[in-house]
Amino acid sequence: MSKIILKLSRFLFKGGTSFPGIVALKLDKKILRTLADGWNVILVTGTNGKTTTTSMVYTMLKDNGKKAISNSTGANMYAGIVACFIANYSFRKTDDEKYAVIEVDEANVKFITEMVSPKIISVTNLFRDQLDRYGELYTTLNKILEGIEKTPSAKLVLNGDESLLGDLGLANDAVYFGFNTPIDESAKVEVNADAKFCKKCKSPYKYYFLTYNHLGSFYCDVCGYERPALRYSLDKVEELTPDGSLVEINGNQYYINVPGAYNIYNALCAFAIATELGIENESIFDSLKSQKSSFGRQEVIDIGGKKLRIILVKNPAGYNQAIDTVSLEDQRIGLVLMLNDNYADGRDVSWIWDVKFEKFSGLDLERIFISGIRLYDMALRLKLGGLPVDKFVIEEDYDKLLKGIKSIESDTVYLLATYTAMISFRKFLSTKGYLKELW
Amino acid sequence: MDNKEMELNICHLYPDLLNVYGDMGNILALKYRSEKRGIKVSISNVSVGDSFNPADYDIVFLGGGQDYEQSIVSKDLTDTKKYALGEYIEEGKVLLAICGGYQLLGKYYTTPEGEKLPGLEILDLYTESGSTRFIGNTVIYNEESKETYVGFENHSGRTYIGKMKPLGKVVAGYGNNGEDGYEGCIYKNTYCTYFHGSLLPKNPELADRLIKTALEMKYEEPVILEPLDDKIELQAKEFIIKRECKKDQAKA
Repeated sequence: MSKIILKLSRFLFKGGTSFPGIVALKLDKKILRTLADGWNVILVTGTNGKTTTTSMVYTMLKDNGKKAISNSTGANMYAGIVACFIANYSFRKTDDEKYAVIEVDEANVKFITEMVSPKIISVTNLFRDQLDRYGELYTTLNKILEGIEKTPSAKLVLNGDESLLGDLGLANDAVYFGFNTPIDESAKVEVNADAKFCKKCKSPYKYYFLTYNHLGSFYCDVCGYERPALRYSLDKVEELTPDGSLVEINGNQYYINVPGAYNIYNALCAFAIATELGIENESIFDSLKSQKSSFGRQEVIDIGGKKLRIILVKNPAGYNQAIDTVSLEDQRIGLVLMLNDNYADGRDVSWIWDVKFEKFSGLDLERIFISGIRLYDMALRLKLGGLPVDKFVIEEDYDKLLKGIKSIESDTVYLLATYTAMISFRKFLSTKGYLKELW
Repeated sequence: MDNKEMELNICHLYPDLLNVYGDMGNILALKYRSEKRGIKVSISNVSVGDSFNPADYDIVFLGGGQDYEQSIVSKDLTDTKKYALGEYIEEGKVLLAICGGYQLLGKYYTTPEGEKLPGLEILDLYTESGSTRFIGNTVIYNEESKETYVGFENHSGRTYIGKMKPLGKVVAGYGNNGEDGYEGCIYKNTYCTYFHGSLLPKNPELADRLIKTALEMKYEEPVILEPLDDKIELQAKEFIIKRECKKDQAKA
């Protein structure tokens, strides 16, 4: 029965994202069980870094000559994942070792593990994220744990610097990755960082050092809960540039071809997963060196000789990391900030007040373009953050915005946009002939 | 007395625990609008285990938090700050409480599991949990000041304020409980609301009212605040009013 549905949905819907999945699920609720049979499934979940980590693991497997698939366009809900398996379904059974690297939305883990026994489940981090959609941090954590409990045989690859992920009390084997060094010695816990109080006894955590937000080498001096032992450690950050980072992992040097501290975490997580899957260091080295950015994640677009670097921003932790990454620039740059409030962006834009836009004042900014549905909220946030209002260009219209971007002198322009703003502006750039591939 | 000779001491209660939904923006707005007029501002973060002395502050801010963090706050407030905070409010000093902070000042709130948790019992209001969450942009109108305020509400609690004055009448959105058509409450110079957004940046009239009242209480003389250029503030507010009221008309 399932196979007929499969053939049908494959025949009817070419391309697209979740739609074939929605149709297939209507016809057979358990279709994923059939689809995923024979695949070694690796699930990647957590608030930030899912898409990039998934793409890195996928690249590492492919570069190593393994058969691998991935839902790399970011369709990470149940139906999107089903659609990914449909698109890659083979009617001929083979004995090849094959891997499905799947990013999954935090609330959807339990639907997947109901049908599939993953080889590995990895959790990147947990930050406050669009609370109107996801609810509170502990709610998100519990949803993930509910999903893991259904599959005790899955090995867990977890961020040890994430205090919420230590000592989970689950039957699963768990290995941890984390930092053995701060990125910036002076990093302190921001007053509005998440999860600063011990999950066991509610006392404030202490830190030997912090990497960013609430991630780091934490301990509680009241109840003794502390960071678990790390199997995969980031021992040294040699260099951070706007193009990538040079680091040392478990004693070997690696160049990560995407910039920013948050991408070091993504690379470390991918390193841990790939190593658990038996891939050699040399092969991982080559993969990280040539890692390409994912769609809208540090993607670089040429706009009449200018480099437009697009960074997707969704929540305070990710936005602060994006700002830190932009801050690696020492030349004069242009800035475009786009804020939408559609469902996928989060209807509530209050979270921009938790982002440290004040940090931008340390940069040499030629102009600040502000756009998106909630452009005035963004302008107001920047104004109260003390950024120079005379450099603001508040512009809704994409044609005028593009003209403005082209008119400035700076060679590099950073565009930080929420999800639907990024999608619509990318689409606009594509109609203007600046983009070869839309997805 | 000139604005430039004045000082404003702001107390941010539990900034490390009650800080979701960008409520920090309220502190930023108070600071920005005071400093633009030459008023000196100092901000004190007061949290778990710290003492709270009502005489030290001119404006107190209490935000909203996630359940886990709010349970820590509730215990600390009851153990160490309840009476001092009650005294501060009764004296008519300025306080702004948002969402969870608003609920905490009341008599009690019931959890979705039906557990009745005691509040600080400073204000004559109570909150019961509802089966759905009220989520969305909200517009309210205050008949006394003839001002319109906008914000974003996200709460499952239904708050009943009895005979107290509301912050405004709901024009679009849900408000305190989705039944009586009111949002927030005002008691003496304590302002309570469910509005995130943040509240004060987009409602500069209200921010100025808090600053002016706080200074008048402190210096015991009428205070005139210089007007500021609020173009962006009002554009941000106007956008919400237009969009939400249009939606409401469409529904009707």
